[in-house]
Amino acid sequence: MNDSVVAQMVVSGALMGLVYALIAYGFQLTYATSKSINFGQGELVMVSAFICLSLTNLGLPYPVMVPLGLFCGSLLGLFVERSGVRLALEQKSEGWILLTIIIGLLFFSVSENIWGRDDRPFPTPIPSDAIQLFGISVTPVEISVAVGVFMIMGIIELFKRKTLLGKAFEAVSADRDAAELMGISATKTIMLSYSLSGMVAALAGILVAPITTVGPTMASALVLKAFSVAVVAGLDSGFGVVVIGLFLGALESLTSYYVGSGWREAPGLVLLILALAIRPTGVFGAAVIRKV
Amino acid sequence: MLKRLFLILGVEALLLVVLAVIPLTVNNSFVLGLLTLLAIYGILLIGLDITVGYLGQVNLAQAAFLGLGAYTAALTVTRFGFGMPAALIAAAAVGCLFGGALSFPALRLEGPQFALSTLSFMALTTTALNEWESLTGGAQGLQVPRPPLFGVMLGPKGFYWLCLILLVFVWIAMRNLLSSQWGRAFEALRDSPIATDAMGIGTLRNKAAAFTLGSGLGGLAGGLYAFNFQYLQPQVFVYDLMVILLLGVVLGGRKSLWGAFVGATIVVLLPNLLSSRILFQAFSGLGFLLALTAGIRGFVTKTTRPFQAVAPVVAMGMLVVGGIFTSNTEDWRKAIFALMLFAVMVGLPEGLMGFAASFLTRLFRIPPPELPEPVPLDEVLVKKVTDGGPLLELLDLKHYFGGVRAVDGVTLTISSGAIHGLIGPNGSGKSTLVNVISGLYAPTSGGILLHGKPLAKGSLFKVAQRGLSRTFQNLQLFSELSALDNVMVAMKGIYRSPLPLVLLGLTRKNERRAQIDALTLLKMVGLMDDCRVPAKDLPYGAQRFLEIARALARRPDLLILDEPAAGLAQPDITRLLQIIRRIHDRGITIILIEHHMDVVSELCNIVTVLDHGKIIAEGEPGEVKRHPKVIEAYLGGTVEPAGQQYIEQGNIVPVPA
Amino acid sequence: MLTVDNLHAGYGASEVLLGVSLTVTQGTVVALIGPNGAGKTTTMRAISGLLKPTGGEISIDGRQVQGMDASRIAKLGLAHAPEGRKVFGPLSVEDNLLLGAYCRLPKFFGFLGKAAHDLERVYELFPRLLERRTQSAGTLSGGEQQMLAIGRALMANPKVMLMDEPSMGLAPVIVEEVFAIINRLKETGITLLLVEQMAKRALEVADYAYVMERGRIVVEGKPAELQKDERVLSAYLGSVATAE
Repeated sequence: MNDSVVAQMVVSGALMGLVYALIAYGFQLTYATSKSINFGQGELVMVSAFICLSLTNLGLPYPVMVPLGLFCGSLLGLFVERSGVRLALEQKSEGWILLTIIIGLLFFSVSENIWGRDDRPFPTPIPSDAIQLFGISVTPVEISVAVGVFMIMGIIELFKRKTLLGKAFEAVSADRDAAELMGISATKTIMLSYSLSGMVAALAGILVAPITTVGPTMASALVLKAFSVAVVAGLDSGFGVVVIGLFLGALESLTSYYVGSGWREAPGLVLLILALAIRPTGVFGAAVIRKV
Repeated sequence: MLKRLFLILGVEALLLVVLAVIPLTVNNSFVLGLLTLLAIYGILLIGLDITVGYLGQVNLAQAAFLGLGAYTAALTVTRFGFGMPAALIAAAAVGCLFGGALSFPALRLEGPQFALSTLSFMALTTTALNEWESLTGGAQGLQVPRPPLFGVMLGPKGFYWLCLILLVFVWIAMRNLLSSQWGRAFEALRDSPIATDAMGIGTLRNKAAAFTLGSGLGGLAGGLYAFNFQYLQPQVFVYDLMVILLLGVVLGGRKSLWGAFVGATIVVLLPNLLSSRILFQAFSGLGFLLALTAGIRGFVTKTTRPFQAVAPVVAMGMLVVGGIFTSNTEDWRKAIFALMLFAVMVGLPEGLMGFAASFLTRLFRIPPPELPEPVPLDEVLVKKVTDGGPLLELLDLKHYFGGVRAVDGVTLTISSGAIHGLIGPNGSGKSTLVNVISGLYAPTSGGILLHGKPLAKGSLFKVAQRGLSRTFQNLQLFSELSALDNVMVAMKGIYRSPLPLVLLGLTRKNERRAQIDALTLLKMVGLMDDCRVPAKDLPYGAQRFLEIARALARRPDLLILDEPAAGLAQPDITRLLQIIRRIHDRGITIILIEHHMDVVSELCNIVTVLDHGKIIAEGEPGEVKRHPKVIEAYLGGTVEPAGQQYIEQGNIVPVPA
Repeated sequence: MLTVDNLHAGYGASEVLLGVSLTVTQGTVVALIGPNGAGKTTTMRAISGLLKPTGGEISIDGRQVQGMDASRIAKLGLAHAPEGRKVFGPLSVEDNLLLGAYCRLPKFFGFLGKAAHDLERVYELFPRLLERRTQSAGTLSGGEQQMLAIGRALMANPKVMLMDEPSMGLAPVIVEEVFAIINRLKETGITLLLVEQMAKRALEVADYAYVMERGRIVVEGKPAELQKDERVLSAYLGSVATAE
């Protein structure tokens, strides 16, 4: 086995891993405020990608299409929050797990019927001819994934750390009652987190679509790996998802090379079950105290 | 009693007879196929209901267990030439095996993490079935001949009867299990895992047992599935099937064998329902009307939130409108499932059977089962001999939360036979101290001895098994269970019944004894008449007493009462005093944490006063009350130069006895 | 400024407040004292909206607020330094303080500048917080956390402030400091409802006081009168005080 081939595998796998990290980041955003995540996040990625494809087909240029697509993503996120999450949170039940799965299923079926079951190419102005960097060939599309992921995560992290609204976000996750006493509405904060999460999902769809093509099932494998990344890293560590995402992406591409491409999903899943068994709060997560 | 038996068993027997006779009268292979599938899905959903209903966790792996069972049965027949019984046993065993293996990592988790780990397992199984082509034939599929049953080749009717018989066995075994201590423990886990641990019922092992059992049933159903279709493809055992299964359980009604059966019926009939447009329109119209009436009713009586009333109507309305405009309902299968599930989840969370059960019980006035008579308290709480020697010793115990020193070096001896009061202002560390003793928190440093031997640190479960029982300041009752069941849950460690005997229904005697004991304890705290009331519906004072009765069910040597009088009105306090005295009479040592000084003076022979995590005084109630430091800690009395006082605070100043 | 009339509230099936009425006039410090379990904290939670009252009326500055979300009530000018301090553990001390002023500050940028004056005021009151301003609040000692909780409530420039058990679990020397602060705040003309377990200390700073027992106000009056009242003493240590 040739070292450079391995390096090639690792790099392109890791770049894909960043997409997992981005979707996982979407889980973290909502988990932080409400301890809930959208199990239908993959469908948000897919629906957003389809919407963007339709927008492009309408003749909108890429720079216009992207913000519009992100906007639609955040609207979808809000829809999920309102219909699937809020009631369950008010009743302090875990009904949101099933409800978000159900809403995902609805999205899936609707887009299957609107856009059809076939995979379609996603046009992008970014060229896909490989270029050589340090002896490893990468495509500009892959680089755009990395740039996009780091950009949006950077922006959101800046928002969380540097703006008052962002700090309010963390306040709600630290102590919901106390945040309410400061005049921070927990419901609105949770809505905001879901819309941000939807936006992140939309961006993931836009970035990954040129590579995977667009189809109803485009995100079902992605989202499973994103689950793994989110859980292995811990549902509260933004830094962790990037590290684990890169690692898992690389591991996966090596697995598919050595064991067989059908097995490429396996390491993420095994990793997830193992991580949960050994450290339920995740590698980078904080421990919890039981209270009576 | 007779009426109850007759109605419930009668309906079940009638249904069984009808199901068994249909193939003799209707000679239609399509109907027979549906019935067979109904029996198989019945077993599968009963298994799924154990985790989803009783444990209250979203289990997304049941379809995987079905697949594993199916492939196991198929492969044992094709590769090793197993007969049908051996193959089915192997299928169930593989289900149990994988379920057990998955349960240990997965069940330490709650809620979303549990759902995720089962989802991963599901995906992993699909991958393996697809990719391990040498074994499973991959996407090509696998032919399975139906093996003989004890030398007899079963035709479609024979096989159907086999499935039905197995369903009946599973049904009976599950009813035995779920009405036993095990079933109660499963439910208790959902309400308060902390309390189950504190009652000495291992949370993890019970959860694991439940999950393993449910998975085993999944495996068994899988075996039957394989021999029914005689052809397997991995594409069947995927996410979609799992959603349909969940639909079945939720729609049928959780925590109910009937619910699982109704759910299975729906799952079997749905595909046929969707294939005819007229049928679908009629069905969705019916659903819409149902949602509308329920919604309006909820709106008028204000029993539900607006969203709960409106959302199901919108969802069912979409079904109706969709039914009119789409030509091919089959294409919209998933959306239809989703809308139906959504409407039920939001509007009818207890499912069809949950709804029907409460309705039918009222309609026929079915009386609850009769209860045995309680016995004298002596027989339940045998008087313990106390010698006044040290029972519990704390050695320089410390517990810090971040920068806050909640317990800051406590050395204390509780002598056997005492009622030892523990008082102090809010935030003085009393509750933290008992949380450390009872194993909820592991201490930062220091030692704890019970009967002179070190006590396990940081494990409620192990501490409870050593004969220490407690109540909680913020009640930790199993709120959905009746008062009687709350106490009986705690007896699980006393009357042990092995799982196989329970399944066969051979442990009724133990069950009866536990019931008598529990009733006796409830009588002592004055809750005999309320024993069927769910704990959450009891008045507040009664809930406090129920917690005490539950703590006694373990027949502890040492009972810790954490603010039992908090929030009680005067008549209840008087009753509480009586109860505590009676418990003390049985030779049970008591640590009493209390704010009501009058309660403490009335009961305790010795009182320890805590402030800032340290002991500031100890002695008889009368002395302690006069102690200047105590008065100061409570009244915030006149203050000497602050610095000096602070230094003095560092020393433990015991009151000369 | 704050009036509470016949307030009922509870948790689930159990009613804790059985008709509490009290008034806090502008610029006064009012103490609410009573034994544990009397319903003092529940009263505070019901006033600030963390707990929805089941009956009665609450008005702030003439405006009815019962039944509103806590966040709306906060915007109307009520600040609450809750029992157990409840600082935002993972956030820095300064962020905690800034969030205290959340209602008044721009949500995205420029909030630091606008809050600078108030921050300065709070840091002047609590020099210890200035030393620790970048430290995360969870690592502070109990006393420092209490200072932070009070400072955070002050940042809102509230019309009325609720302070729940500021002395809880604190060493006497720190309790001294806390009450010194309350005295200073009183001089600045704050309107404060103070729940306190150390009755004597509370009565020293208060202009008026209510004594609660089992969900009701049993005695009220000027501190000087109350200090002589048998019932006040007995409310504290039960039979202890009366035994003496």
